[in-house]
Amino acid sequence: MTVATRVVDVDVHVGPGSIQPLLEYMEPYWADYVANAELFLSPTMNGLYPPAAFVPGGEEGTITSVPTTPEELREGLGDDRVAVLNCIVPFDTSHNPYYEAALCSGVNDWLRAHFLERDERLRGSLALPTLDPDAAVQEIERLGSHPGFVQVLLPIRTEVPYGNKRWHRVHDAAAQHGLVLGLHAWGRVANAPTASGFTHSYLEDYASNSQIVAQAHVTSLVSEGVFERTPDLKVALLECGFAWLPFLLWRFDKDWKGVWREVPWVKERPSAYVLRSFRFSTAPAQLPADPAVLARIPDLMPVTELLMYASDHPHRHGAGVDALLDLLDQDGREAVLSGNAASLYGL
Amino acid sequence: MKVVVSRLEDFPPGERKIIKAGPRSIGVFHVDDEFFAIRNRCPHQGGPLCLGRLSPWAVSSQPGKVSMEGPPRLVACPWHGWEYDLETGQSFMGPGETRVKAYEVSVASGGSLGDDVHHGQEQPIPIPAAARAAGREPGPYVAETFPVYVEDDYVIVEV
Amino acid sequence: MADVQVTERELSRAERTIRLVDGDVHSTLMPASLHARLPRRWQRHLEQLGPRVAGAYAMFPRMRNGGFRIDARPEKGFPGSDLGLVQAQLLDEYDMDYAVLTPMQPQNFGGEAPELAAELCRATNDWTREEWVEQDARLLGSICPPHEHPDLAVKEIERIAGTERFVQVLLPATLEQGLGNRRYWPMLRAATEAGLPIALHTGGNEMHRGAGWPSYYLEMHVWNGNTMAMQLLSMICSGVFEEIPDLQVVSIECGIAWAASLSWAMDDAWRTFGEVETTRLRRPPSEYLREHFWFTTQPIEEPDEPEHLAFAFDALGMTDRILFSTDYPHWDFDAPGQTLPRSLSKEVKQKILAGNATRLYGLPR
Repeated sequence: MTVATRVVDVDVHVGPGSIQPLLEYMEPYWADYVANAELFLSPTMNGLYPPAAFVPGGEEGTITSVPTTPEELREGLGDDRVAVLNCIVPFDTSHNPYYEAALCSGVNDWLRAHFLERDERLRGSLALPTLDPDAAVQEIERLGSHPGFVQVLLPIRTEVPYGNKRWHRVHDAAAQHGLVLGLHAWGRVANAPTASGFTHSYLEDYASNSQIVAQAHVTSLVSEGVFERTPDLKVALLECGFAWLPFLLWRFDKDWKGVWREVPWVKERPSAYVLRSFRFSTAPAQLPADPAVLARIPDLMPVTELLMYASDHPHRHGAGVDALLDLLDQDGREAVLSGNAASLYGL
Repeated sequence: MKVVVSRLEDFPPGERKIIKAGPRSIGVFHVDDEFFAIRNRCPHQGGPLCLGRLSPWAVSSQPGKVSMEGPPRLVACPWHGWEYDLETGQSFMGPGETRVKAYEVSVASGGSLGDDVHHGQEQPIPIPAAARAAGREPGPYVAETFPVYVEDDYVIVEV
Repeated sequence: MADVQVTERELSRAERTIRLVDGDVHSTLMPASLHARLPRRWQRHLEQLGPRVAGAYAMFPRMRNGGFRIDARPEKGFPGSDLGLVQAQLLDEYDMDYAVLTPMQPQNFGGEAPELAAELCRATNDWTREEWVEQDARLLGSICPPHEHPDLAVKEIERIAGTERFVQVLLPATLEQGLGNRRYWPMLRAATEAGLPIALHTGGNEMHRGAGWPSYYLEMHVWNGNTMAMQLLSMICSGVFEEIPDLQVVSIECGIAWAASLSWAMDDAWRTFGEVETTRLRRPPSEYLREHFWFTTQPIEEPDEPEHLAFAFDALGMTDRILFSTDYPHWDFDAPGQTLPRSLSKEVKQKILAGNATRLYGLPR
């Protein structure tokens, strides 16, 4: 960054070192379930974040692990920025809806006690289960009014796109509680990422987040009329990139003109809903390396309105968003670095 | 210039006729008890607009609930399916932007045109009640329309 | 005026400058025609037990005239089934030099049981040759192999390759696995050795995983570009272009602009993670994209600012590999002369309208 300014960091990862701290907050049955199945929290999150996807640690050969306490977090971030914490350990691949719901509740209780109530500059995302929308609503009603939670957290790799009508009750509950719908990369990775099945390389799997899976949710939320029935709902796409957005919207707007009768509840053109109701975190940026091409990105999309700075600590991505920020004026930079997030999350 | 389309009795409700008026191809439609005429050329890529399907507005109060409102007065271009209102030529695909094609409305009132008529006056684009109910904003494409009226027993279009 | 036109048509193909090539025209094989070409045992099988592969149009109904141009219905049969109407409405109407035929039925045929798939594809390819390519010198055929059975696909490719004016091997964009999978490579190799590109047309096995199944055709249609992005990535990351360096791939009816952001993302990922062992990528992925892929234009993107599309083409750096197409007789047909943004230079327009296809398909033929 060329100008020192306070940031709001909208995607920072924390997590317990093992499943044990979570069990404290869960029914005793789950401790027995976990012990019998010998379940543990995968350090690579079932392959989502292998060692190569972490920033290097202090010592050679080590990686920076996911912070388990506010002290570790502050040491890792190096400052006292306002941060929105995402604990994605419930991004699980099993199909037991009760376990998933219990795990999410455990994570949320742990996050509140260990982070949100110990550092007032931290906010959190309320992890929601994917297999049972009723359980998701219950969790929002249980903890959604806690001032530390500003967002609900769901994975983009999932069973059904989030515009689907079975999710409408969740949108309503989130909007009622003033919570942003936070859709985060990765998720239920036993579901293949592409229409042709599984990929064989990490690179394809990684790219699938931004190139296909996140975009399916944008299309779904608009096509299913979510923003007509719940106009107050806001959506944050986290760790999903953003440079693909203009091209998606060109296609989406044009296709809607021809087949609007399939979705007559979509009254405005799709891009209008997206620009109004979606925000995007900046890591990964996945921007063009050619400066001449990069310079045109602000023409194609209103970056100063849409983007929210994220470090995605402690995960590693490519060249970040700095080169794009350098193209903006001071007001634009501040909007991306803190203003848009402050506005979205009511900070 | 007045162009005779057909005898009224040969043009029952629900039918359409495509006629040539000079270099122009024009589609004339009999919808319920009204006649409309629209240029048979879509402003988008020049497709044969007047061959397209006619539909009423589909109005939705919430996802999954849709009512069909008004007469079938929207024609969908056979290429790309973009729809135009037969009366005004207006499409409803986005906020009003620069029009692709100029909108001409000539009010045909027989011999009642007096000396103090203002030529070239822009008429506001009426938004049909059903379009308003469907929550749609006009724009950006407008198809060229022509007034049609019944004189004696003939259907006549003025181009 | 009429005399001049007749004279022009009498000029031999080689003497006439090629001005317009359509990269995507759907000839439609009617069930009765197919039935007549099958041996009795397969006729009986289909009568008794039917096909196994679900139809795409039932999964996501095309909410616009069932997916076709209203004005392209012949008196008898489906749009695209009548050569005369195709000639009148497309080839003659736009004075086309060439049109590439891309029948859609083999997208399903290729997924049937091996022998049945092979029979259905054999029948289709013979029909293409006899009733289309041999009937009009402007028509270019695609070989449709039984794609889920690469050993049989190789046989069919070898059977047809070398037939006059068959210019590519046509596959669906979505197969049961990504084309980066080695099991498909004999098919890709056979095409390449015959001097033919492969073409991937949107459609095929609609297995919507990742985010789950969308509800609407609108979503599915928007998704076409994303699906092709992952297919391209599968091929690029698999090392198939290191293995078969002359392989060329045409992306049909999936859009183009998304390939710009794909190239940025995959280069960024490759620079970050390296990943040589499972990808064999020795150069940035976008280099393989620019050296091995081609794109047809329809359905062309239409940003509010038409110049933005020209920018996207430039940013992608592939204006030498974009091929004009109409997608006749589908509902979102793009008309020649009406489709390309005005801000493109005359030189680039001519490449897109004919020059690039001329190079790819070795025209005139």
